[in-house]
Amino acid sequence: MARNIYREFLELCAFEGQELEEMVPVWEKYSKKLGLTEEDIRYSLEVYIPKYWDIQYLGVRKMIGAYIREAIELAKTPEYKEQGVKIVYGILPAIATNYQAVKIAGGDKVFVSFPDLQLVTILNAFFDKVIDDYLETAEETGMTYGCRHCALNKTRIGAAYKGIIPSPDVIWVWGFNCDEGPKTDEYINCLFDEDWNYVVSRIPHDTHAGEVDDENVERVTYIADQLRHGQNAVSEATGIEVLPEHVAQANDDVRRFAFKTGTLTKLVCSGNPQPLSGSALTIFTQPMTVPMNTGFTYIEEALDIMIRECRQAKKEGTGILPKDHPKVGSYFVPFCVPWVDGIFKENGVATTFSTNFAQTKKNLAPPSYDEPYMVTAEFWLRQPVLQNMKYEVVGMIEKVEANKPIDGLLMGFFDFDRWLGAHQKMAAKLIEDATGVPTFYMESDFWEDRDYSPEALRTRIESVCQVVKMRKEMS
Amino acid sequence: MDKKIQSLAEAYKKRPVELKQAKKDGKKVIEYIGHFVPEEMIRAAGAEPYFMCRGGEPEPPDAVLEYMLRFMNPLARSMMGYHLMGLDPVTPMADLIVAQQADCHIGRITELMEFNELPVYKVGVPPDWKKEFAGEYYYKALMKLKAKLEEVTGNEITEEGLKEQVEYSNAINESLRKISDLRKKDNPPIGGYEFIRLNHYSFYTDPKETAGKLEEIYEGLKDAPGKFKEGSPRILLAGHAVAIGDYVVPRMIEENGAMIVSDMLDEGLRWYNWDIPTEGDMMRNIWKTKYLDKVPVNIFQPAWRERFAYIKQLIDENKIDGVVWYQLSFDEIYDMECTCLAKWMKEINMPFLKLESSYEYSREAMGPLATRVESFIEAVKGGM
Repeated sequence: MARNIYREFLELCAFEGQELEEMVPVWEKYSKKLGLTEEDIRYSLEVYIPKYWDIQYLGVRKMIGAYIREAIELAKTPEYKEQGVKIVYGILPAIATNYQAVKIAGGDKVFVSFPDLQLVTILNAFFDKVIDDYLETAEETGMTYGCRHCALNKTRIGAAYKGIIPSPDVIWVWGFNCDEGPKTDEYINCLFDEDWNYVVSRIPHDTHAGEVDDENVERVTYIADQLRHGQNAVSEATGIEVLPEHVAQANDDVRRFAFKTGTLTKLVCSGNPQPLSGSALTIFTQPMTVPMNTGFTYIEEALDIMIRECRQAKKEGTGILPKDHPKVGSYFVPFCVPWVDGIFKENGVATTFSTNFAQTKKNLAPPSYDEPYMVTAEFWLRQPVLQNMKYEVVGMIEKVEANKPIDGLLMGFFDFDRWLGAHQKMAAKLIEDATGVPTFYMESDFWEDRDYSPEALRTRIESVCQVVKMRKEMS
Repeated sequence: MDKKIQSLAEAYKKRPVELKQAKKDGKKVIEYIGHFVPEEMIRAAGAEPYFMCRGGEPEPPDAVLEYMLRFMNPLARSMMGYHLMGLDPVTPMADLIVAQQADCHIGRITELMEFNELPVYKVGVPPDWKKEFAGEYYYKALMKLKAKLEEVTGNEITEEGLKEQVEYSNAINESLRKISDLRKKDNPPIGGYEFIRLNHYSFYTDPKETAGKLEEIYEGLKDAPGKFKEGSPRILLAGHAVAIGDYVVPRMIEENGAMIVSDMLDEGLRWYNWDIPTEGDMMRNIWKTKYLDKVPVNIFQPAWRERFAYIKQLIDENKIDGVVWYQLSFDEIYDMECTCLAKWMKEINMPFLKLESSYEYSREAMGPLATRVESFIEAVKGGM
């Protein structure tokens, strides 16, 4: 009997029973719409996912499955639009809260996603596929290759231009710490799609070095005003009224999820041997910042299973490398180019937490406000990406200290990002001075690897591994 | 004419010496970055302003690379690069560096200044300018700046003081407009290269005297013969900024047989087409002129359609034959706007050339640049 690659792939992703039967033809149909061939899926099933993802764990397989569900949802958007379902997009960096509030309010009448992020995550991290289809299309429209534009924005442009995703009823663009993201939607609107309706929410980065952003009431209030304005604009565009209780519910969901990711991070970082790779940890933590059209059901189930499996692995003393291996934290483990993590592992070093996703005590502290938008605004300002550099570094230092023992901190991988990438060399110096943990800066791209191939980075990664191993042996 | 411009250039060169003396005399020296920081407020506080916008040399942008991503635009990197190289005579004596915060390039560079313990003060400018509460954010930022300047200088900024300084600036604007309008002649007596330099030097001369000096230049020019060959193509120069010292491209355009007769640049040049009203609340007037009345800067959103409409107006008013978009390398938002503009320019059959500079003007870099400029000008001439 001929193999059914689509079925095998879904089985790998922990689909089972009646749902598996129903999803096989669905996956076959919609994976093609995303540009995935049968050969792509075979490669992913047989080579890419087994090589780079910790599929010995059901939790990891379920989490990949949750992303696959989102991929299918995304591929259905043209049909959803024809059926009258309202389409709401967003972009990174953000937190999922307000978008999940739209989903809670609208249910099946609304589709909510960060399409570029989902496409890059799914296609690149699991299929090594995104580049040809989307990035080059965007570059052909005029997002010049040499200017180092962001792959996410290029993917959004490419997907819109090719009609993979339809014009949204509205894309609510958080440009709180991104210039190019919001301007990408103006670009699409000006260049080829006047129906591309967008609303932007922005705030200047004008707090001074070391100022505590989330304790600045004026700043929290301004963000809350922006969120309220954006939420109203979404309601106007979709006809879906988002009530304070929807936002409150979303706040509760995101905070609960964040708390659980904190637990998982702690288990991973304190494990000797480490039970889970840094890339895998990152795909569990990412949904704090990215809404899922399928809600929290599947991702939270995967997370709960993963926490249990990590506890079990810890009890049994099993992990991804032999005991006493060195570990390096990261500004952001580049999970969309999972071979980076793979080369570290090949060299006996594990990547662990991302300073961007690990939680400080303050992140998990109860909110200082009752009003839902103020709660969200404060939570958002407690996230590192929105803070002035020196305050962000305070949090990074806390995370490094909390997740010790750690043998190094990897910075870089955001060369395209004039916000998140620009300050990392300075931050590295401050963290190294404060913690004694050596930092390593690697110029590279978090989302795609056209400019930084495994061949190009291998030597650098190997030398980092040599240094951390030597230091560990000497200590 | 050249001598008069030269005398202003000398004043620019002597400005650091003047500032050193002013410090000795007990005055505060305040550098500022970006036109959303009103120099009139600094002067009204009794301090000496210094506009930080130097560029055009390859080494300063590279000097920050130990601390900074290399894909930042070279003007922002130069702002700190000159200081790190010990080539900035003003920053070490500055009592305050006031920097507008509207985009990531300046945003992160000012953090590098803070990292180096320079006395930075930030003025937030929300790019989503159509929202009333975003506008109020900038207004509040200006009011906070006022308080900061008063604290640093120990002087109150009064309405009268502000009005006086705004009147000086308006007079400078008016003189610059008159000179610029001479460029509307079929064969103007002044081109863009000289006009840009005049504009630059006007930041570093005593504002009480600057308008007068510019008037003298205007008087000398108004009946002077044209300085270009008859029928030279008329060019609009648009983009982010021509920094002080970054004159290679404007000079090259004019040396190759075209004349720059109009401009739309967000930084570097005074916003000389927008006077600040002097009746009523001066802080509100400053705020409104800069934030709401002036054609939006590139980072504002939405902006590009309005900016294109303004460019079309300039094209009509100045009988433009071709548009040169001057872009700094890795300036991602300008790069995106350029794509849209190129499309719209094609729709109106306007020749359009994108030039990009990393401030690398070596012999190897100049060859291709010159070829592109020459070819463009020849093509524009061919279509006239």
